[in-house]
Amino acid sequence: MYMTQQNKYVTFRSGKEYFGLKIEYVNEIVVYQEITQVPETPEYIKGLINLRGKIIPVIDVRTRFKMEPVEYNDRTCIIVVRLQEMVIGLIVEQIAEVVEILPEDILDPPVLGKEEKSVENRYVYGIGQVGNSVKLLIDPEKLLKDEDISLLEDMDETTAEATEEGE
Amino acid sequence: MAEEFNMQGMLDIYLFENGQLLERLQEIVLEQKDEDCFDEDSINEIFRTMHTIKGSSGVMMFDEITKISHKLEDVFYYLRESKPDNVPHIQLVEYVLQVADFITAEMEKIQNGETPDGNSGELVDVIDKFLTAIKNGEGEQEKEIQENVYIEPEQFYIAPMATAASRFYKIYLTFNPDVQLANIHAYKTVYALRDIAEDLLHYPEDIVSDESSADEILENGFKILLQAQCTEEDLRALIQEGYELKKVDIYECTAKEFQQGFGSFGTEIRTDSGASSDAGDGGAGMIFIAPEETVKAPEKAIAPGDFVIESKEPGKGKTLAKDKPKKQEKSAYISVDVHKMDMLMDLIGELVISESVVLQSPDLKIPGLKLDNFNKAANQMRKISTDLQNVILSMRMVPLTNTFQKMNRIVFDVSRKLGKEIEFEMIGEHTEVDKGISEKISDPLMHLVRNSVDHGIEMPEERAAAGKTEKGKITLTAKTESGKVWIIVQDNGKGLNREKIIEKARKQGLLDYAKPDNAYSDKEVYQFITLPGFSTKEAVTEYSGRGVGMDVVVSNLQSIGGSLDIESTPGKGSQMIMKIPLTLAIINGIVMKVGTSSFVIETGVVKEFLPMRDYQLNQKPNGDEFVMIRNEAYPVMRLGEKYQIDGYNPDNTDGMFVLVALEDKTICMMVDALVGKQEIVVKPIPEYIKKINGLSGCTQLGDGSIALILDAAGLIE
Repeated sequence: MYMTQQNKYVTFRSGKEYFGLKIEYVNEIVVYQEITQVPETPEYIKGLINLRGKIIPVIDVRTRFKMEPVEYNDRTCIIVVRLQEMVIGLIVEQIAEVVEILPEDILDPPVLGKEEKSVENRYVYGIGQVGNSVKLLIDPEKLLKDEDISLLEDMDETTAEATEEGE
Repeated sequence: MAEEFNMQGMLDIYLFENGQLLERLQEIVLEQKDEDCFDEDSINEIFRTMHTIKGSSGVMMFDEITKISHKLEDVFYYLRESKPDNVPHIQLVEYVLQVADFITAEMEKIQNGETPDGNSGELVDVIDKFLTAIKNGEGEQEKEIQENVYIEPEQFYIAPMATAASRFYKIYLTFNPDVQLANIHAYKTVYALRDIAEDLLHYPEDIVSDESSADEILENGFKILLQAQCTEEDLRALIQEGYELKKVDIYECTAKEFQQGFGSFGTEIRTDSGASSDAGDGGAGMIFIAPEETVKAPEKAIAPGDFVIESKEPGKGKTLAKDKPKKQEKSAYISVDVHKMDMLMDLIGELVISESVVLQSPDLKIPGLKLDNFNKAANQMRKISTDLQNVILSMRMVPLTNTFQKMNRIVFDVSRKLGKEIEFEMIGEHTEVDKGISEKISDPLMHLVRNSVDHGIEMPEERAAAGKTEKGKITLTAKTESGKVWIIVQDNGKGLNREKIIEKARKQGLLDYAKPDNAYSDKEVYQFITLPGFSTKEAVTEYSGRGVGMDVVVSNLQSIGGSLDIESTPGKGSQMIMKIPLTLAIINGIVMKVGTSSFVIETGVVKEFLPMRDYQLNQKPNGDEFVMIRNEAYPVMRLGEKYQIDGYNPDNTDGMFVLVALEDKTICMMVDALVGKQEIVVKPIPEYIKKINGLSGCTQLGDGSIALILDAAGLIE
């Protein structure tokens, strides 16, 4: 990892929340483009895009979080992330900014549900504080895995309390 | 010890070079297997091949390979020197092939990281006996044939190239007398010099396999003649004195001295250190000698690279390698990583697409623009990119020659084991196919050829009784036809036995009881043998009859989009026709639209297009739809429905029927519109998306959008 990239996060908005993604995962950010749908795939896999000749799958972050889908507009962006050898696009509503979040500013996420398993599986591995706002830090690997993640259902309420250590 | 060198790189080269040599060796041997003896060129070439393998295996310390290649080299040395005329040729052919097999097997082990643990002893003994037999068979052996003990001039693997900037050095190494294996230490030095050397000779010459050279080195020192573009300091840096290496003396010398070889060695060594400055002067003068002069030395036409050292007589001038037959010409090939080729292919694909994006840019549509120059330039660019595409495609194409050669070998082996006499003919082996394809057809082809030899061709007596020539014939033909490559294995044997197949099929419950036997067409009957577990041969032989094979052949072929046709005439022989696509990477496809999505299907499987409005859709009670076309019913597949495509309108009556046929099944696909026919670059669907039935890949269309490629086999299932 380059020093300049350390502690840097790309943040984006989805619904009311702001999410953060470690910059080392991010290949590039492109504006929304035509998506070719692929049959017989889960709903959150929107299809394929042509990224300068490379064909990559794209998933909709909102749908992945089981949130109401929204119309794509000119602010919709695709964050191209690379995980191991896989290159995948994440459709997000709006790109916010690149921020620096120091490790000491990252809090453990609120525990949702009592079972251990849900803790292991959560894709939000930390809550980053930037000034007065909070960013939910996402682990892209979990995001892309098959397991059902619907932890966000009550995130709306929890994020408000997140700074006070959540539930 | 060996680990101290960069073994992997050497090993790769070793495996690659020897692999090629062995392939060439088999080719020569098989070419002349039906003659009475090898011709002189072949003997020389086999001899040289074995010699090279022996040498390099010695360096790599693969003793068994060294032993056996040395033995075979002996045989050919004898053949070359005394030209006996009583050699049992076919036996010799077999020995050569056995040796080639042995070495190939050992090399495979090496490649897989295993220890080459094969034992060559038995084969060596057999060949030894063979050699003794032909020697004695010659009766009164007039000319005493010198036993071949590494007299053969050894050329080191350093490519000679003389330039004016080259300098010549004599290097004299004195080893500590206590050192063990001085020859290996000497070799280490030679190896260290390898990178800088333009030409390098050393004495004693054989430091690798001849262990007695160690004593010689300890006693008299190790002498190196080096041609390189470096200074004495560079050399000193490479050859450092140490415990083993007591003393390193480096003298610069002239090209002439260099050519004289080791004859002039020693004078400087005996003189005091002042001599080195003399030699240095000579060396400085040398720089002004033009390369031509170096090459055309006054006495004889001598090029430094041609030198060979007669290790037996170090004092004399050198003999020339010139009058020896030239080594097989090295073709100007380089091997390239296939991934790089794929990358290049992808890039060119992108280039083609971005080209069409530029040329069809909406900005150009503004009325009143003067585009004359633009169009001229655009045309030029289009031409270049088309050429580029053709070149990359042709780069991936390889002739089938190698694959066919292997079959030659199989026919030879199997027929001899079975006691059949078979003539093998190859037609059109230069036909080219994509590299990926040529790799995949090798196994199926092998099965077919074995089958022909084993099941097809009869025993000689049987053939004679049937009024045929005793010698059977198998013909392997390759040709390009209608965008596909046909590979035909044809034999003039007994043909397929229809009754037997039907009988067997009945036993396995493959027949429809309601259908009389004679209602099955020959084609249908022959298709039975491609089913898993089906074999008509009563006895299982080593080569075939286990019923695994034909089904594997067919599934292998299908995986690359090929097919197998079987034709047979009882008593006359049978014909297996493999039809395979030319290339996997680019296919000819029909682009279709369904709703908002585009699909592509390979042109080869499309039988015809029909406008939907001309035909009536019918429904079976279970809801399956079918359509009657010219009094035949075809099942209908609504692509839009199957894949739940956005914007698909089931009531659309303005679409098209696409009849897709694969083997004997035909379905009628319903699409909204046909877009056109085009060459498409096949790309895999990203792994993240699970395999989808009926789709085999995706591609980019001219406008940059993505189309999914339909897989006919998957759809029809």
